Amino acid sequence: MKRHLLVLVACLACARQGREAQPPGPVTIVLEHQPLWGDPAAFHASLERFQQENPGVVVRTQTLPNASDVAREMFLTALEGGADDFDVFAIDVVWAPEFARAGWLADLTSAFPPERLRAQYLASTIEAVTLDGKIYAVPWFLDVGLLYYRTDLVPRAPKTYAELQSFARAAMARNPGLAGYLWQGRQYEGLNCNVFEAIWGHDGDLLRDGRIALDTDAARAGLGFLREAIASGLSPRSVVASAEEETRRAFQDGRAVFLRNWPYVWAEVQKPGSPVRGKVGFAPLPSETGAPGPGTLGGWQLAVNAHSPPWRRRAAEKLVAFLTSGEAAVELALRYSRIPARRAVYDDPRVREGAPFIAALLPVALAARPRPVTPYYALASDSIQGELSGAVAGLRSPADALSRAQRIVDHLESR
Amino acid sequence: MKARSQAALLAAPAMAILAGVAVLPVLAAIWLSLHRSILVFHEERFIGIANFRFLFSDGRFWSALGTTAYFTAVAVAAELLIGLPVAMLLQRGGGFFRAAILLPWAIPTAVSARMWAWLFNADYGLLHRLLPGVDWLGSPRTALHAAILVDVWKTTPFVALILLAGLSAIPGDVVKAARVDGARPARIFFSITLPLLRPAILLALLFRSLDAFRVFDAIYVLTEGGPANATETLSIYAYKTLLRSGDFGYGSALSVATFACVLGIGLVFLRFLGRER
Repeated sequence: MKRHLLVLVACLACARQGREAQPPGPVTIVLEHQPLWGDPAAFHASLERFQQENPGVVVRTQTLPNASDVAREMFLTALEGGADDFDVFAIDVVWAPEFARAGWLADLTSAFPPERLRAQYLASTIEAVTLDGKIYAVPWFLDVGLLYYRTDLVPRAPKTYAELQSFARAAMARNPGLAGYLWQGRQYEGLNCNVFEAIWGHDGDLLRDGRIALDTDAARAGLGFLREAIASGLSPRSVVASAEEETRRAFQDGRAVFLRNWPYVWAEVQKPGSPVRGKVGFAPLPSETGAPGPGTLGGWQLAVNAHSPPWRRRAAEKLVAFLTSGEAAVELALRYSRIPARRAVYDDPRVREGAPFIAALLPVALAARPRPVTPYYALASDSIQGELSGAVAGLRSPADALSRAQRIVDHLESR
Repeated sequence: MKARSQAALLAAPAMAILAGVAVLPVLAAIWLSLHRSILVFHEERFIGIANFRFLFSDGRFWSALGTTAYFTAVAVAAELLIGLPVAMLLQRGGGFFRAAILLPWAIPTAVSARMWAWLFNADYGLLHRLLPGVDWLGSPRTALHAAILVDVWKTTPFVALILLAGLSAIPGDVVKAARVDGARPARIFFSITLPLLRPAILLALLFRSLDAFRVFDAIYVLTEGGPANATETLSIYAYKTLLRSGDFGYGSALSVATFACVLGIGLVFLRFLGRER
């Protein structure tokens, strides 16, 4: 019995020591990321290159669940528990301020000075990872809302909401049974993205003095536009229950003139056998004034775990720098169709040649905007969805829904 | 005396495990519900019953409670009403039919809910073709009934099987005697079958009510609680508060409230069941 106890104590002592001093041998760092889709060989080869360039560093990868909210739950519990068994991890764009505020992300400001990042990256992607002037993650690749249109049904991409409406009406008059404008109105995070885009398109701003502001004229106009689209028949009632895939399928089957969705749709509609292959164009979202309408910024950033010990921190920062380099971004664009957060990659000849769709996305990417960059967004997002859904479904007026949402947000922020 | 203490000793490991996996987590949730605990803001302090005071004035809680109660009442009633005739038919049918009818019950809920979501789809759905004009998942009024339909489809076989077991336990002699006395089938059903089936019906009601009251997966896959929170049940509200918002204190309070409701339902049914004995 006594001997067992001794062994146990010795083990505990070893484990403690492991946390404090650097163990001998190579430094092993762990990277957690979502599956990139496509053959992982290219990505693994680049990690291999990193290990050759940095002798003494071993990188292990762990794949995250594909659903963003499941991954978030995992991080929430792991990081709250002080987990230090991973060093570099991919975070969704909306988590950055929240996780930073919680103290879970290492401050990367000295390794990645904000001025340098702002010069290299699209402005919105840096805005999304900055809290109180400090950098907490580095953009890896982005996602952005954009407008798809049928080149055979409308003369060109609409610049304003009025044009969107009149183009759609004209096409619908010629083709009975055709839907005008598809978007995502189901009660989920995507609904927030759609409504925020409409608010930005009406010259609105979602943050006022660092607080979420929904009870504004622009917000009423934006949400009112989406509600009116359903009420007037421009959008079918089915959008109230639709997420990305439902609308993508309807559009791909040739049953709609316009679709708001994410860049992944492009590869789908251009597949052989797609009924609308070669008949689809894309453009920034419309706006009230005709300037390119902002699309919601999505995508993934690489952060360093605040709990990982100092001797792994250096290697982790190097890995982040390596994975977010211009070369890595070109490879991600070519091999995995990931949209670069670095401005220069869009002009890279290899990208222009090998991934013309991505190169052509530059105007859309430039117009992207992050959802409210505040630690409270994740807390409030869910309640906001419920209220916006009420307006979209026609249960209450947009003004009413927005003031209810504002009340909830104020209550959360006042804590 | 010795036998009794030995019995207690033998039962102790089982009791300890039960306490570890059932009682302790419940107590922990109750303890957590008395705190303000928001992960990201590192807030963790004892606030007594403030969460429950907020709960009583929280419109979203009451609407979720109403939705859950309505879902439970309608779904369980429909399952019983359909399950009983099915069970009586199955009594005549062979093993093949008994196995075949279990199919919906055997499919994982998340899978069948996804399948139904496509059936309900307003552009492609088969149901939409059959009944044009009904906006199944898009309208707050129909969305909950669509979820009820899915639940009824899935769990009626389960109810039917329980009732079938009850039916098989009814002695054939009693029915024969009634027939000899010249009772009509309807009379036999209401005066003999139904009263003798009471324990099985109560059991089915108990199982199904407890299950339906905690419904999560089917509705979460179908609508995520939308549109406009019209299909948000207590479990979904608690899940969103706990894991999406990271508000562990209030989320635990919601879970405790759900637990209290389920416990209440369970006690009522157990009392009825106890009276049967």
